[in-house]
Amino acid sequence: MKILLTILLTLSLYASDATIEVIKKVDSLPSLAVEEASTYSDRTLKLKFFKALIADLNVISIFNVDRFHRENEFESERVLVESKDMDYVLKYNLQNNDTDGFILKMKLMKGEETVLEKNYKVNNSNKYMFVAHTIAYEINKFMGQSSIEWIKKKVIFSRVVGPKKSEIVISDYTLTYQHIIIKGGFNLFPKWASQEQKGFYYTSLNETKPTLKYVDTKSAMSKNIIASEGMMICSDVSKDGKKLLLTMAPDAQADIYLYDVSSKKTTKLTKYRGIDVSGQFMGENRIVFVSNRLGYPNIFSKEIGSDEIEQMVYYGKNNVACSAHDEYIVYKARESSHAFSKNTFNLHIISTRTDFIRRLTATGVNEFPRFSVDGDAILFIKNYKNQSSIGVIRLKYNKNYLFPLKYGRVQAMDW
Amino acid sequence: MKKIILASSVTALLFFGGCGNVEPTPAEQAATQEATPNQNQEEVIVVETETVPVENATVINEKAAVINENATKNADSNEMTMASLENKMSSVLFGFDKYNLTPEMQSKVSDHAKIINGAANSFMIKLEGNCDEWGSDEYNFALGLKRANTVKKALVAEGVNANRLTMVSYGKSNPICTEKTQACWAKNRRVDFKLLP
Repeated sequence: MKILLTILLTLSLYASDATIEVIKKVDSLPSLAVEEASTYSDRTLKLKFFKALIADLNVISIFNVDRFHRENEFESERVLVESKDMDYVLKYNLQNNDTDGFILKMKLMKGEETVLEKNYKVNNSNKYMFVAHTIAYEINKFMGQSSIEWIKKKVIFSRVVGPKKSEIVISDYTLTYQHIIIKGGFNLFPKWASQEQKGFYYTSLNETKPTLKYVDTKSAMSKNIIASEGMMICSDVSKDGKKLLLTMAPDAQADIYLYDVSSKKTTKLTKYRGIDVSGQFMGENRIVFVSNRLGYPNIFSKEIGSDEIEQMVYYGKNNVACSAHDEYIVYKARESSHAFSKNTFNLHIISTRTDFIRRLTATGVNEFPRFSVDGDAILFIKNYKNQSSIGVIRLKYNKNYLFPLKYGRVQAMDW
Repeated sequence: MKKIILASSVTALLFFGGCGNVEPTPAEQAATQEATPNQNQEEVIVVETETVPVENATVINEKAAVINENATKNADSNEMTMASLENKMSSVLFGFDKYNLTPEMQSKVSDHAKIINGAANSFMIKLEGNCDEWGSDEYNFALGLKRANTVKKALVAEGVNANRLTMVSYGKSNPICTEKTQACWAKNRRVDFKLLP
């Protein structure tokens, strides 16, 4: 009976509809212990690495990870007595090398058998978290789970550090690694220019007109793309990086425009006299966007080249941000409408094929939802009690993870 | 019994995951290594240098000049005149999620129009639209701009030359009040008047 129950619970793991909530499946997960055998000289880094690895192993959501720090030798096939009851044991050895980086050897053991073995080398130990992410990625892949390419992707975000002052920062998905790529001035709404993340667009408010700029991350060369009176934001980049959805307001009238990167031609896609913003590609020929055409902000969609507009969301009276992937739309909804007290904004997900709505967050101000490239996870910003965090929602597993920002407030982000 | 359940759950995981039911041996793993997109060259025996996925991009220092900042610095007396005129033109406030003028704010704009066409007639006017902290999305930038545009239209109706007026929106990124009170939020839903030489 117990075996049957376990199998049923495991089946629910693979519920194919992201709008259906997985309630409980903790008991069905295999257990995993981590044993360290490091000889690395910097104790602080060793501890940081262990914590980062445990966090990543939790985020992949396929193990019950034991957080206890164990030390054991690496080479032997034996695991510690206290790890004997574990389904899997991850052993690793962090060693100094002749550069500023380190070498890491790891093996995943099932019982006393090594089932996966990998070695890594990093030239700069400050980038240790990328090794932890890669280990989690490899273990997830080895366990036969759907790809979590996003765990290795970089996040780009703008952080407000003072009135009309901001920074644009490139980080890993946990915000542990942070590289300030633009500082000084008022620069907002960064957006990766392609899935390879070799360059990005952002809005500069330092010019006479709001200007969209492009930066190549390797050469740090910057160039102006297009400027508009009033407003200029790159809301989305097509999968192939060839087309952009811009919000411009040449006559103080915010509308969505399609911009062709190679021909530099702009096409106006919406023409409502109110507010149309936040265009997002949904497949090849369709966009979803935010508009106040019903008197309050809500999510709509239209085909490029057609005038027909379709209302996508029928829940909530203040839905001001969205992200789309295949048939799914995740959007930000205002849960209360107090003009003069604290409000809660939650993220919800809908499918364009069913009527289901699933609420993804519970407290605080949750905004800027962004689907991962594969639709497996949603990244978002949570502002709660004066602190900004980046959150990761694993849709399949019904789990949210938060990574706080040390200072400043996240203004916008892309993944 | 516990072991049977755990083992079956692992088997179920692997089976229903539609992946290899046979776990590869380390040797097979080594043989089927693929180059990952971020060039983490992972090998079982020989360790090679990995390219870490974040480029060492140089930090760019944006020339962060606020529009015509230098021009104002060049002339102290001019700067003082501008500052004193700006002080006379207090912010125009708006209701929650609104971009229309109340009668009280309408009369404030009329007073400002007199200054703009009087003592400040040699300056350009920059209208800066702002929002309260409830949202940093694009929608709020558009709302800030709508507010600036409402003020612009009202000023033009009062006889101000539209060519002297420019607009910008800062969304919620430029609060003048950061306390968590209703009075504070109300102060942030505003359009500021800035003079440009």
